[in-house]
Amino acid sequence: MASDTVATRSGGTPGGRRRPVSSRTGLTVLAVVVSLISLFPVLWMVTSSFKTRTTVTDGNLIPRDFTFDNFVYVFTEVPFARYLWNSFFTSAVITVVALFFHSMAAYALARLRFPGRDKLFGAIFATLLVTPPVVLIPLFMVARQLHLLDSYAGLIVPAVFNAFGIFLLRQFYLQLPRELEEAAVVDGCGHWRVYWNIVLPMSRPILSALAIFFFLANWNAFVWPLVATSDQDLTVVQLGIASFQTQYGSNWNYILAAATVAALPMLLLFFAFQRQIVESVKTSGLK
Amino acid sequence: MSGVVVPERRETAAPAGAPSASEGPRPRLRRERREWLAAGLFLAPDVLGLLVFVAIPMVLSFALSFFQVSGFGSYEWIGLGNYRRMMGDPLFWDSMKITGLYVVILVPVLFCVSLGLGLLVKQRLPGVGAFRTALFMPYVISLVVVGVLWKFLLDEQTGVVNRAMRAAGFDGPSWLGSPGLALGCVIAVTVWVMMGYYMIIFLAGLQEIPREYYEAARLDGAGPWTTFRTITWPLLRPTSFFVLLMSTVAALTGGLDLIFVLTNGGPANGTSLAIFYIYQQAFGFGEYGYASAMGSFLVLIMVIVSAVLFTVTRGGRFDDGE
Amino acid sequence: MLHHRAAAKRAAAPPGATRRRFLTATAGAGAAAASPALLTGCGTARAGTGRLRFWNFYGPQRSPDPAVNAQSKWFVDTVDRWNATHETQIDLVYLPRNTYINSFKLPSAFATGEGPDIFLLSPGDFLRYYNGGVLADLTPHMAKEAVDDFGSALDSRKVDGRVYALPMEVEPLAMFYAQDVWEKAGLSEGDIPTSWDRMLDVGDKLRAKTRAGLVFETNPGYLQNFTWYPWMWQGGGEVLDESGEVAFDSKATRQALQLWQDAVRHGIAPRTPPAAGDVVGGFKGGNVAMWQQGIWNVASFKAYAPAFKYGVFKLPVPPGGRYLTALGGWSFAANARSGDAEAAAEFCVWALGSMKDDSVDRMVDWCVGAKSDVAPRESALERGAAKGGYDSAVMRRFKDEIFPGGRGEPRYPPVVYKAISDAIQGTMLADRGVAGETERAAGAIAAYTESYKGASLI
Repeated sequence: MASDTVATRSGGTPGGRRRPVSSRTGLTVLAVVVSLISLFPVLWMVTSSFKTRTTVTDGNLIPRDFTFDNFVYVFTEVPFARYLWNSFFTSAVITVVALFFHSMAAYALARLRFPGRDKLFGAIFATLLVTPPVVLIPLFMVARQLHLLDSYAGLIVPAVFNAFGIFLLRQFYLQLPRELEEAAVVDGCGHWRVYWNIVLPMSRPILSALAIFFFLANWNAFVWPLVATSDQDLTVVQLGIASFQTQYGSNWNYILAAATVAALPMLLLFFAFQRQIVESVKTSGLK
Repeated sequence: MSGVVVPERRETAAPAGAPSASEGPRPRLRRERREWLAAGLFLAPDVLGLLVFVAIPMVLSFALSFFQVSGFGSYEWIGLGNYRRMMGDPLFWDSMKITGLYVVILVPVLFCVSLGLGLLVKQRLPGVGAFRTALFMPYVISLVVVGVLWKFLLDEQTGVVNRAMRAAGFDGPSWLGSPGLALGCVIAVTVWVMMGYYMIIFLAGLQEIPREYYEAARLDGAGPWTTFRTITWPLLRPTSFFVLLMSTVAALTGGLDLIFVLTNGGPANGTSLAIFYIYQQAFGFGEYGYASAMGSFLVLIMVIVSAVLFTVTRGGRFDDGE
Repeated sequence: MLHHRAAAKRAAAPPGATRRRFLTATAGAGAAAASPALLTGCGTARAGTGRLRFWNFYGPQRSPDPAVNAQSKWFVDTVDRWNATHETQIDLVYLPRNTYINSFKLPSAFATGEGPDIFLLSPGDFLRYYNGGVLADLTPHMAKEAVDDFGSALDSRKVDGRVYALPMEVEPLAMFYAQDVWEKAGLSEGDIPTSWDRMLDVGDKLRAKTRAGLVFETNPGYLQNFTWYPWMWQGGGEVLDESGEVAFDSKATRQALQLWQDAVRHGIAPRTPPAAGDVVGGFKGGNVAMWQQGIWNVASFKAYAPAFKYGVFKLPVPPGGRYLTALGGWSFAANARSGDAEAAAEFCVWALGSMKDDSVDRMVDWCVGAKSDVAPRESALERGAAKGGYDSAVMRRFKDEIFPGGRGEPRYPPVVYKAISDAIQGTMLADRGVAGETERAAGAIAAYTESYKGASLI
């Protein structure tokens, strides 16, 4: 919170005010232009989701015959709400479990002394370099051996383990001042208590930033859910979107409507927490 | 989760009770051991998970690279056969060249665009929150949908891009219909998707640079370029290195979803990145052994690239560990 | 459905036991040595579940398109009928078409012994699956008259006279054209081109800034090769001759590549398909005048643009050439590694290849009811015609003019496919020399066939 106010103050410095008006106007115009360029395709997706099957490919931004049917169809003809729930549930569980495990591991890598620590960190970092399509089949075999196929566990468990989070959290812990922890150790706290009572609360900013990115990544997951599940009840939202592609010629209007529905929660999430995300990223050292 | 927590509590609770402290002739060693044990328990879930779901598949895939694999469960040991085939496969080397081109263009462009956007949305502009959101938005959409969207927008006849060009009096080209342009489009779309993410990272890095430095520079009469060169750029180095490393790794292993939808590797293999060619061999043609050999080679390249990046930047700030 | 919940619970709890057992099993044995054992030695895969899984891209699903619904219903009805009359039960597993064809799903399943018991197979995949040993022999379940009833439609699904897959449909390629565009340009039925040059002229005349004159498939893939073969065959070209020797480097091949290159080079044919490949949308939006496409679009037009006026005609022919078109279509196949391969094979034959009336009628329902296709069996084609399935002008033309010059889609394996695909893509879209690309592809095919071991490539 403290950093929040500091940032606000430093952001609103006199420097900003003293800048010549013309340059600020120029920058604002520039910001408007790049934002529009960035936004346009998204906007196009949203408006096109109101077009009919035959006009969806016409390339117009504003639909000629406006229809709401695509959304009605998406929610009534397929269990899209179920797909949304599956994605929400798996993404949320993955995010929470992953952050918990990663912060534990990162804390150990950053703070605890044990033989082979640097080698272990190097090995963990190296797992970032896997070539995704090549490990897919072996991963599938592992998941089958563990009876994870066609289950929520199969969607969740393999997605939890990712060196990226460990790596970032370790960087964060390296930057944290040691004093608090050392004081706690003097007080006779064990490592677990230090972690749970001191380190974890201090990790809140980075954990909230990572939570957004993890959740987003899993919300958009496609390949692993596709391979690991056949049960219709386990369909996640991105597979749901793909299922609107029929045999010949795709129903783009449904696909775009479904994609809009899938993207909307994420857009709202970012818009609502945009400030906090930047602050979290900043204070977290996730950079 | 609680299953993991419980033993740790027990472990850490023991010394607090400290009945055993008197027995230990060498408490220092015991503390050390305790720390090892704690580290082991803290690391256990992730290390085990990474071992099972990442390391073992990696090792298996490396092992597969020495087999001729039919895709239907038959395996024949062929030693270095797949690697020899790789050396003599012009399509693979073409795909490596395209990957090189892709990385060499994408990474700097993405870097500059994100940094520029970061600098822009750092300014105190009216409605800056809306700008940040707008610029981050593309990152929220899944790559499959991104591919579909841009396929429409880049359509030769009805796409918005060419309509705009026609309105301005030009005939737009077939963006996805010739090899060079299509690769350019894949890069541009990737920049569009990723720029918001790295913008946020840069923004955070920029906001950490103390305001006073800029004030001092301004009093010295430094222009914006001098300020950027003498203050922003050097102090942003850790962030820059992070972005560089992450975007390079992502460029070497990613982009598959987008290419599927946008170009399917075409036209004329013009967007057939190494990762796409590997995918095609494995899942299109059932050549898992061969694909694994190429995948292993790609990992080797990535190890080298990361090592070079670490060395060139003197480890960024990753080695300032202790 | 129920037991995966239990499995989820089990695995979500501390995943100790199973994981450890697995770890000791693999890590202990040493990865290199263990991997093949791990990969193959999985006899437990699906023992004793008792139910067969039929992976397909039709049903069960719901769609706003009545044709898609009818197709889904056909699958559901067929399986229900079987389940009501047989002890071995079958479950349909629906996968969206894109997921089925161009994706990770089937390959992962087959590579790890988790393949479906019954599945749909395209001609392009036949040899790979056959050589992989996963296609069950259907011949023992079939009557000889039934085999004869299929006739040449079975050629690309046979090895050494034995049948390994049963086609459910025959899908010929033709040229679709927009009648209003045609008329506006002052052309009539009599202007329908019969030669390549004339086709290019008409395409040139009909094209506009936002309208492609003539569309050939542009995306690299099996479909593009399939649509290109007839142009090569028409001039007498072959990829492999009757004795299996490479015959790709020929005048006919070069002229077919040249045709597509010229069409693109002169702006008559586009470099990407109009309307992102949506045929109905492209025609309705006025973005295309002629499009080489398959019979399956007849059903799409009927569903989405019933009032749209379009026509079809036979693919034009080069000087001195002979009319030919390519016939596509999917087939039913049974997994030889299934827990109950016998029943799976029996199902395929029962559904499509028995001499019983309901088997023939089922095919009629599929080809003229649910879809708009030519039936692969003589008897079904006759019955379909009698039912009025080929009465519309378009369907009649398909049945009487376009289909009779047809030749089945070849079953070349991936390396051959890829060599040809690269030649098409390189000449058409990267403007590479026709002679050089032909020679390079012929070389790649020859290198492959020399070391190829497996069933006949032709």
